[in-house]
Amino acid sequence: MNDYIEALGYLAPELALTALAMVILVWDLLKKGRDSSHLGYATVAGMAVIAWMLLGQWDSLGDSGRHPETILGMVVIDRFGTFFKLFTVGSLAVVALYVLFDKRERKHGIGEYYFLLVGAAIGIFFMVSTNNLLLLMLGLELLSLASYSLAGFHKGDKRSAEAALKYIVFGGLSAGVMLYGISLLYGLTGTIDLNAMGTGSEGVGLAAQFATSPVPVAVAVVLVLAGFAYKVSVVPFHFWTPDVYQGAPTPVTTFLAVASKAAGFAVLLRFIGALFMVEGVQETVMAYSERIGLLLAILAAVTMTLGNLSALRQTNLKRMLAYSSIAHAGYVMIGLAAMTTQGFSAAVFYLAAYYFMNLGAFGFLLYFEGAAGSEDVASLKGLGWRYPVVSIAMVVFLISLTGLPPTVGFYGKLVLFYAGVDAGLAWLVVVAGLNSALSLFYYFRIVKSLFLAQADDKSGDGEPGLGGLIAVLSVATIVVGLFSGPLQRWSDSGTESLGLPPLEESK
Amino acid sequence: MNDHTILSWITFIPLIGMGAILFVPRNNSGVIKLIAGIATAIPFLLATQVYFGLFDKKSAELQLVQQLDWIKAVDAQYFVGVDGLSLALIWLATLLMLVAVPASFGIQKAQKSYYALLLLLEVGIVGVFVSLDYFLFYVFWEVMLLPMYFLIGIWGGPRREYAAIKFFLYTLTGSVLMLVAIIALRLDMGAIGAENPFSIPEMTLQAGAGMLTGTGLPFGGHLLGMQFTTWIFWFLFVGFAIKIPVFPFHTWLPDAHVQAPTPISVILAGILLKLGGYGLMRACFPIVPSAFNEFAYALGILGVISIVYGAFVALGQTDFKRMVAYSSVSHMGFVLLGMAALQNWGMSGAALQMFNHGTSSAVLFLIVGVIYDRAHHRDLNGFGGLAQVMRKYWALTTLGFFAALGLPGLAGFVSEAMTLMGAYNSEREGFKTLVIISVIGIVITAAFLLWTMQRVFLGNLNEKYKDFDDINFREIMCQAPFLFLCVFLGVAPWYLLDWMQPSIDKLVTTLGG
Repeated sequence: MNDYIEALGYLAPELALTALAMVILVWDLLKKGRDSSHLGYATVAGMAVIAWMLLGQWDSLGDSGRHPETILGMVVIDRFGTFFKLFTVGSLAVVALYVLFDKRERKHGIGEYYFLLVGAAIGIFFMVSTNNLLLLMLGLELLSLASYSLAGFHKGDKRSAEAALKYIVFGGLSAGVMLYGISLLYGLTGTIDLNAMGTGSEGVGLAAQFATSPVPVAVAVVLVLAGFAYKVSVVPFHFWTPDVYQGAPTPVTTFLAVASKAAGFAVLLRFIGALFMVEGVQETVMAYSERIGLLLAILAAVTMTLGNLSALRQTNLKRMLAYSSIAHAGYVMIGLAAMTTQGFSAAVFYLAAYYFMNLGAFGFLLYFEGAAGSEDVASLKGLGWRYPVVSIAMVVFLISLTGLPPTVGFYGKLVLFYAGVDAGLAWLVVVAGLNSALSLFYYFRIVKSLFLAQADDKSGDGEPGLGGLIAVLSVATIVVGLFSGPLQRWSDSGTESLGLPPLEESK
Repeated sequence: MNDHTILSWITFIPLIGMGAILFVPRNNSGVIKLIAGIATAIPFLLATQVYFGLFDKKSAELQLVQQLDWIKAVDAQYFVGVDGLSLALIWLATLLMLVAVPASFGIQKAQKSYYALLLLLEVGIVGVFVSLDYFLFYVFWEVMLLPMYFLIGIWGGPRREYAAIKFFLYTLTGSVLMLVAIIALRLDMGAIGAENPFSIPEMTLQAGAGMLTGTGLPFGGHLLGMQFTTWIFWFLFVGFAIKIPVFPFHTWLPDAHVQAPTPISVILAGILLKLGGYGLMRACFPIVPSAFNEFAYALGILGVISIVYGAFVALGQTDFKRMVAYSSVSHMGFVLLGMAALQNWGMSGAALQMFNHGTSSAVLFLIVGVIYDRAHHRDLNGFGGLAQVMRKYWALTTLGFFAALGLPGLAGFVSEAMTLMGAYNSEREGFKTLVIISVIGIVITAAFLLWTMQRVFLGNLNEKYKDFDDINFREIMCQAPFLFLCVFLGVAPWYLLDWMQPSIDKLVTTLGG
């Protein structure tokens, strides 16, 4: 009994999130009337409280950055998980504000909207803080189910419905594939705990299994990876992304592109870290770790190249950003492919960088859907002169996405490239560099449309609140880029808490 | 403001000016121009003070150094300083930017944004020249791109959108290769335990001691059958060569020049191209000296191709501005040839040529601007006899053309002669042949400039143009400082050489010449 009471303390953020979900649901039922913006504000306030709790938890974890025991045998409390929870809370708050600030979206912003968003966050909270594949799967499914409904939230809209259906079909398939992979892993190692699987503390370790029977291990790992690859939209499991991103309501797309993708990467990092980077494993069976590294490197190269090449041809801004998010998944994969603590930390940092610039870019999209009444890049013609603040902010996001200084995107790419070269993946870094140059071409089609063309004065008014929020994000993109030290320390500290080999003193 | 911060003031005062401009109401163009003028004048005055006062021209050391910690996680520093080479170019850059402001008074469209971007561009340019930390260097290098993109893309000619993105894409492709090389160098510096792994002077020292060979990296000193230093050399070289621009990376230049408004062309030719040459001297050759020595002949050949090819293509142009643009390719070829010779005269000649091309090409583009503002076209065959109506303009043009074609007594002659003599005296094999071939370029340059003179100013006066106003006071004043420098440095080149010589000698010694 005491165990449970103690456990509740550690699970306070999760409980608070669940309570918030209930409050939203009940309050919505009690209060009559069309306007539900109070629920939006409640969500934002709730996020602030939970962020505060998470910060407390971050500080309470000692030097190792993780709680020595697994709570209830399932939940791991470490800074890595806390980092991604903070990330989720931060993105959810911004997404909720997007819904609140945009009057067309606000109409759809009924209680269930916020409830589903918070529900998705609960899923993320559990999936990023467990080593137990069962709980991970449950968290993932909770996130997925909430996302399916959110994707189809614009009920009258055909595209939205199509997005939801596509998402369910692809999601269901990949969940099945992944579950099959997990069952194989369980069969091979006799445990569903990732750490035990890696070290072989409860029977046979995966590396040892690989030495005797490589094929089943490879099949199992690839199947599970496929499930994760779907979640973070890595080629060849990316086909759902453009359609779902385009069809889903823009705030939902934002949530999928930022929070959901980061959560996918979080579990992917944990999975690779626990199974392939355990001390001793790399020494005993080199081929085992090296091959997965090579596989990830190839996936990274293909993903970023294909994402960028497809984005080149897009005329719809939302779809272009969808392909760009695929390309960025490719960049993050460099950090994974490096298979070093430094690489993982770089991947975590890049995701944080991605938070600022991508939230901003999608915010801009939402703003102009309202102002220009269209998602077409061509319809932005000359609007830069009409809405200078938001448009200049967008230029900042775009140079950050391209990876130019002095923005956080540049610094993020720098640390990724750095880790890549250090791990001997110079070729991948060159591919990524050329990809950045390639991406400039389509990102600057937006800039060209905004500033280099003349306006034809048909546009309506923008939402001032939304514009202000976008401006704040753009300032953050530059400031965090120039003074990246704190964020870098956070991602280092989070990554080290995974139990990976500690980072050397930089020099 | 003291000796240690003066370079930072020179770099960032335009940024303050830019901030101030953003708060001025859009229609108050007088105040905007005034702020732009002040924000470019102060850096120029400070640079002059440094040049003639604070800087010790006898020393080859880096001076007025300021070094602060910046991003600890990767050991990047805010590290600035100058030597004779960078100081001369900083002075030129601040002068050009100062002149660019009155030269832009003809621009009516979105003036507030225009002057703000112009000032931001100056921050990037001067920043590159003062940076001694490779990270900082790269940040400034990229900061330049965005304002240039907008300045060409918004205020340019009919095909401005194409020209702007082409400029951006070319330069960015070069600079991502540079970034990869910088990261590899940084890691190698870390592996050998350097104290400030991003510092360019420290990289130079380590490279001079033969330490920077990539053995500390996971792939060792070799990659795909090529030495680490070879990779680094070509990655950096391509990044800088695109900016110079060296054949075959030059194709962005004619488009950018032709589409850009006159003041931007002046900045582009006058100072942006020099960043490439300066980068090679500061941040490429001394860091991989062995690879430079190995490929010096190849660079010499590229230089000569640029000289001859640029001149021939210029000869074939009918667009006045395009002709001047290709003449830049030809003139900048001398810079590469002089550097590749690895000999004191050649290297000084290259540095001098960069400065002199900065002044003479600025004059040429201003000349084109004057005629374009009146005729609204640049077709060389569409003029004729203008000497009869625009006598002052004709006189200035003649002077500018002679400076550009290398008439003895004017600046271009000194620097071209020095690079050629340096290359001829080079101990390396084959450079004598290169010099002989490059002389063809000089002849052709004289040919196209004189032919242009003939087509535009001599012959029968085109009736349409008989009412043209002669060049006005503002336009003369924009050209005056550069024409003065063309004459002055032709007669007294030591006013530049004395400052540069110690740094150049040191560079040549570092490179093993």
